[in-house]
Amino acid sequence: MNDYFDMVHYSHCNVFRKSVPLVTSFNVGVFSEKSSMLESELHDLSDDADYAASQQQGSASVMLRSDSTKQSSPRDGAEVVFTKDNVTIHPTQFASERISGRLKLIKQSSSLFMTWIPYKGHSSEARLSDNDRNLYTIRAVPFTEIRSIRRHTPALGWQYIIVVLSSGLAYPPLYFYSGGVKEFLATIKQNVLLVRSEEDANVFLVNDFQNTLQRTLSSLELPRAVPLACGPSNMSVDESILNENQERADNDVNNVSQFLGRPRHKVDPARDLSIQVLEKFSLVTRFARETTSQLFRENQSNGFTERRTHVQTNLDHPRKSSHVEEKTSDESGLALDSKEFDNLSLVWGKPRQPPLGSEEWIIFLDSEGRVTDSEALRKRVFYGGLDHELRNEVWGLLLGYYPYESTYAEREFLKSVKKSEYENIKNQWQSISSAQAKRFTKFRERKGLIEKDVVRTDRSLAFYEGDDNPNVNILRDILLTYSFYNFDLGYCQGMSDLLSPILFVMDDESEAFWCFVALMERLGPNFNRDQNGMHSQLFALSKLVELLDSPLHNYFKQRDCLNYFFCFRWVLIQFKREFEYEKTMRLWEVLWTRYPSEHLHLYVCVAILKRYRGKIMGEEMDFDTLLKFINELSGHIDLDATLRDAEALCICAGENGAARIPPGTPPSLPVDDGSFYAQQDEIL
Amino acid sequence: MSYAYLFKYIIIGDTGVGKSCLLLQFTDKRFQPVHDLTIGVEFGARMITIDNKPIKLQIWDTAGQESFRSITRSYYRGAAGALLVYDITRRETFNHLASWLEDARQHANANMTIMLIGNKCDLAHRRAVSTEEGEQFAKEHGLIFMEASAKTAQNVEEAFIKTAATIYKKIQDGVFDVSNESYGIKVGYGGIPGPSGGRDGPSASAGGCCS
Repeated sequence: MNDYFDMVHYSHCNVFRKSVPLVTSFNVGVFSEKSSMLESELHDLSDDADYAASQQQGSASVMLRSDSTKQSSPRDGAEVVFTKDNVTIHPTQFASERISGRLKLIKQSSSLFMTWIPYKGHSSEARLSDNDRNLYTIRAVPFTEIRSIRRHTPALGWQYIIVVLSSGLAYPPLYFYSGGVKEFLATIKQNVLLVRSEEDANVFLVNDFQNTLQRTLSSLELPRAVPLACGPSNMSVDESILNENQERADNDVNNVSQFLGRPRHKVDPARDLSIQVLEKFSLVTRFARETTSQLFRENQSNGFTERRTHVQTNLDHPRKSSHVEEKTSDESGLALDSKEFDNLSLVWGKPRQPPLGSEEWIIFLDSEGRVTDSEALRKRVFYGGLDHELRNEVWGLLLGYYPYESTYAEREFLKSVKKSEYENIKNQWQSISSAQAKRFTKFRERKGLIEKDVVRTDRSLAFYEGDDNPNVNILRDILLTYSFYNFDLGYCQGMSDLLSPILFVMDDESEAFWCFVALMERLGPNFNRDQNGMHSQLFALSKLVELLDSPLHNYFKQRDCLNYFFCFRWVLIQFKREFEYEKTMRLWEVLWTRYPSEHLHLYVCVAILKRYRGKIMGEEMDFDTLLKFINELSGHIDLDATLRDAEALCICAGENGAARIPPGTPPSLPVDDGSFYAQQDEIL
Repeated sequence: MSYAYLFKYIIIGDTGVGKSCLLLQFTDKRFQPVHDLTIGVEFGARMITIDNKPIKLQIWDTAGQESFRSITRSYYRGAAGALLVYDITRRETFNHLASWLEDARQHANANMTIMLIGNKCDLAHRRAVSTEEGEQFAKEHGLIFMEASAKTAQNVEEAFIKTAATIYKKIQDGVFDVSNESYGIKVGYGGIPGPSGGRDGPSASAGGCCS
């Protein structure tokens, strides 16, 4: 376990022409085409006596260094002391997704920095967006931030290193396709103190004592971290620290005030804290991304029956993700202004997939039309949504109107049964004569209200536009029928917004009605007269912001904005007015998957607020200004980025987040099969 | 655009009485019969000139349905003026005025200027509330009153500006402490002291639109 990287099986194949089957649950396949790619560098770069000597020298000289150099950019007066091309990371096991770049060591004054910049426009990286590649970019990390470097020399394949930061996080393995690990380490040794671990000859401790304050502070943040003196046995230590980070996340977030009194240097504690949280995000998100992208690929190539086992394998060993820390904040990150920081902080999260299309959809069904693995389907829809033409078929399943295990024939049967049931309910109000209606105020009022509202719902869409549009009448009939189906709830403004896309997609009155009924099973409380459904969600939202963005929470508190009424419209109609129609449908189907939380919409709120926190706090918005600002975000929110953020926030919050959402908060549903998510929460 | 004062208005009244249409007519000078129903609150703003002073009106257009009252109440905070709207063709919207007024009295500051508007006066043939009744109600409750039509724009401009003029007079009379923003008035850079802060143009004439 200590060295699972070396436990992978190796296979001989040409990585540039052919991707290879996954051989472990982790994407650390190391492959070689020919033996010349091997670096048989089996001896050390120097003997231990050398290191002992340099350690003494080093500790003396570094004491003289000024801490101020740490902040300065390596570009000014910087000297590149080492350059190596074709240093590559393997984000997944797929050769096509490897990212090559240039590794450099840069010396400025007496400080040494490491950078790794991916090449641009590499053809094999077509799958990866620029954002995605930028995630891995290592921008001038100072060696004062690096705890250790582990060298791996597999019997076959390229040598690679893993750089572990003093925070306990690690960069993904850097594979030296063109060799040069020895030179790399030697160059470092010439510039900073490099000590070989007593426990593991392949671990080199970067033990720069120049910044004793920094060291003290990081030990404050990680009180149970294994001290350097103990000779970290690399991954095990690394893992334990990571685990520690995860366990402590909640405390960290809650104890901002505790940190305020500490002699932190350079930055405000809130930002520092956010960086910690961010690091955690990036770690977790990275892990989630890896797992899922792996799954989807598998799904496409090998079917998906083994997926579940596979996921669980990963989840059982969440710490294994420790080696895949991605770059979100480096030394310069601490000096970023808040706007930049906000931008930077939102570069995490899993890239969205293309929507599920017809061909792939078939794979989810058995010959009779049952969804064989509803979890897999939900996950797939969560990450990509649906092609529009599939919505008509899949929405009913996602909403719970049709059971996943129903066959084509059963769905057809249910459809016809439900159609006559719908007609019966509809008849109840259609049979009310005008004379009877005169004595039925409640009915008249409801009908009047609905009639007023359907003509004010999405009329700019072709589907609903124009005088005497039959679809507007169907909207009215469904809403009125619903108010008889659920007479206690009746009709409330906002319902027509929720029904409109459903009718547009289902394009069948009865089907739209029953899908709407299924949706209202979850969202009905939004329309309670006493608004308690809304209040409980806004309350849960405030608790989540408190957990996930304590400074923003404090700001809202100070500004008397904790009622979160500025998010009222978001929650009431599930962001329907915030996005264009197509995007709304995309968001809804994602929310309806209940992955990774049935309260994902609240994390979407947090994600948007977090994205604009710099502006909100920087401009010192009061309640009125904030409300106006939030209203005017309509049409300007990037859905994919928001969903990525929301997913990351949700995974990061884990059980702590779930615990902050009071039981019964809409859209709570009975948990039928939450095993996957429950396990995922355990990561944290 | 600089202004001498900024007044916060809130538009209240039953659903479907034409609140959003009044706002749109005032800010954009157009009538849009298929305007989406308001969820929560929406905003509009426009500059006007009173006593040669540029005044910015920031207008909050609220959702009318009863269920949303608890949310709507939070929007009263710091409003200097309110337009309380009913529909002259629907009696019940007039009958509900007392309850709206009660909300306003309870949640807005006591000096808020309230303009009662009987909207849709272009539909005189379907009238269900007489002008006299509207006048009477306004008189009883100390409101300013006008009948208006968002569709034809009749009295729309006047309603917003007359409200502003009343607020402005209250400032001149020293009713408000303008440094206290809870009255819904902000002093802008257009300059309070002295007449030089105003823009050209006749008193109480409309300026351009702004957001």
